[in-house]
Amino acid sequence: MINVIAAVSTVVVASGEGAEEMPSVLAVPIDELIIGIIAFLVVFGGLAKFALPSIKKTLEDRTNAIEGGIERATAAEAEAKDLLEQYRAQLAQAREEASAIRTQAQADRSALIEEARGEARVAAAQVTAAGEAQLAADRSQATAALTRQVGELAVTLAGKVVGQSLTDDARVRSTVDEFLNDLERQAAS
Amino acid sequence: MSTEVVVASGGLDCHLMSGCGFPAPGAEIFQFDAVFTFTIGTLEFHITKITLLLLLCVILILAFFSYAFRKPKLVPRGAQNVGEMGYLFIRDGIAREAMGKEGDKFVPFLFSFFFLVWLSNFMGIVPFAQIPVTSIFAIPVAFALIVYVTWVPIGIYKQGFFGFFKNMMFPPGVPKVMYVLLAPLEFMSNIIVRPATHAIRLFANMFAGHLLIASFSVAAFYLISASVVGIIGSAASFVVAIALTGFEVLIQALQAYIFTLLAAVYIGGALHAEH
Amino acid sequence: MSLLAEVTGSLGSIGYGLAAIGPGVGIGIIFGMGVQAIARQPEAYGVIRQNMILGFALTEALALIGFVAPFVFGV
Repeated sequence: MINVIAAVSTVVVASGEGAEEMPSVLAVPIDELIIGIIAFLVVFGGLAKFALPSIKKTLEDRTNAIEGGIERATAAEAEAKDLLEQYRAQLAQAREEASAIRTQAQADRSALIEEARGEARVAAAQVTAAGEAQLAADRSQATAALTRQVGELAVTLAGKVVGQSLTDDARVRSTVDEFLNDLERQAAS
Repeated sequence: MSTEVVVASGGLDCHLMSGCGFPAPGAEIFQFDAVFTFTIGTLEFHITKITLLLLLCVILILAFFSYAFRKPKLVPRGAQNVGEMGYLFIRDGIAREAMGKEGDKFVPFLFSFFFLVWLSNFMGIVPFAQIPVTSIFAIPVAFALIVYVTWVPIGIYKQGFFGFFKNMMFPPGVPKVMYVLLAPLEFMSNIIVRPATHAIRLFANMFAGHLLIASFSVAAFYLISASVVGIIGSAASFVVAIALTGFEVLIQALQAYIFTLLAAVYIGGALHAEH
Repeated sequence: MSLLAEVTGSLGSIGYGLAAIGPGVGIGIIFGMGVQAIARQPEAYGVIRQNMILGFALTEALALIGFVAPFVFGV
């Protein structure tokens, strides 16, 4: 075991001697350290002062622009929706109006028809009534005339019959015939 | 991998049959000589390839994003589109996810971190750069340090000095006896292990990934020789190196994301007392 | 005492290999459970992912300490 360590330590010594002229890999020369820090500070200062503020602003502007665009689009959409609603309302109103007008017209028409029909019925009734009255008057007139004539005729016939012998059948018969002929002549005249 | 590494490892003539051993790349491929140095006060600054690449990353990020966002339009196109995707990813995917609406304030911070770390990592597969900047330990340490000195003061400011440590060390819903064990552990875990692992995670992943690609690239070069094993092995190593490069792209982005998300989670935890 | 076995090479690598076992299992469990949770409640994806990454970070810390220890304490 000791020999192992001894062997290793020989190696260590050997390589240690070899590496003596060369600084360790982990050496930190103060000048390189300072240069590194300065390099970063220059980059940081340059970017933070000149390059990055402008791009930050641009990105914010873009965000605003996009948000503004979205807002505008939303507004336009709302407006369009409003218009559509309005239009729809108007359309519905117009439809309602049209249907109301139609209903009204229908009502008017039936009223008119009803009225006309009523008038016609009244007129017809009047005509009928007048006709019937005329007819009744004519009939009563005719009846009166006929009654009078029949009475007269009967009187005449009776006179004629009485004026002649009632026993003679042939005479009676001829008298009646004569009467009838007279009657016919009278009707013809 | 670049010939630089190969030369550094074993030389151009080092092949399978030429008698030299496999020149496995080690930590030395992460060492770079200073291109030039200057001194401020008593501190000597070594400008190396790493430093220059980091500078390049900084310039590229600033150039790209100031170009992309120079005149932002409401309707994005081209570079602005790409930049915006990045911004929204950080804001919605990291900041808001970890901190809620409050996270919006930290978006520039996290944004800078994500893209700087990502591009630094990405340098590992850019031709001629071919070293992840973050595979040099000082760079992730610098980044993690910035995060550390951000969330600790925020926590102290928001929760009060004692409240901050109390919330950290005495999480609710635990039997009282456990606090003997838990309090020091939580303190260690939050104050020491957290920033350390934050830096080391990024560093170790980039370091290991780069070393892996380097190893297979060196192997592909080393195995070129007039033998069946050499040809097949070389081709296989080359294919693996390419595949690993593709895998690294994924790891680089993932590590940048994890680094940034952890930064956001730490700051978010400091903003609100836990639970 | 005769030499029974000899370890040559980097002890640091071996140490890291040992240190990676636990976190390897742990990370597997975390992501497995995370995926299960997401599959059951896709609407909670954000919260689950965040906690998943947090658990992953805490677990991986152990492997990272194993990675660093050889550099800190010598190979």
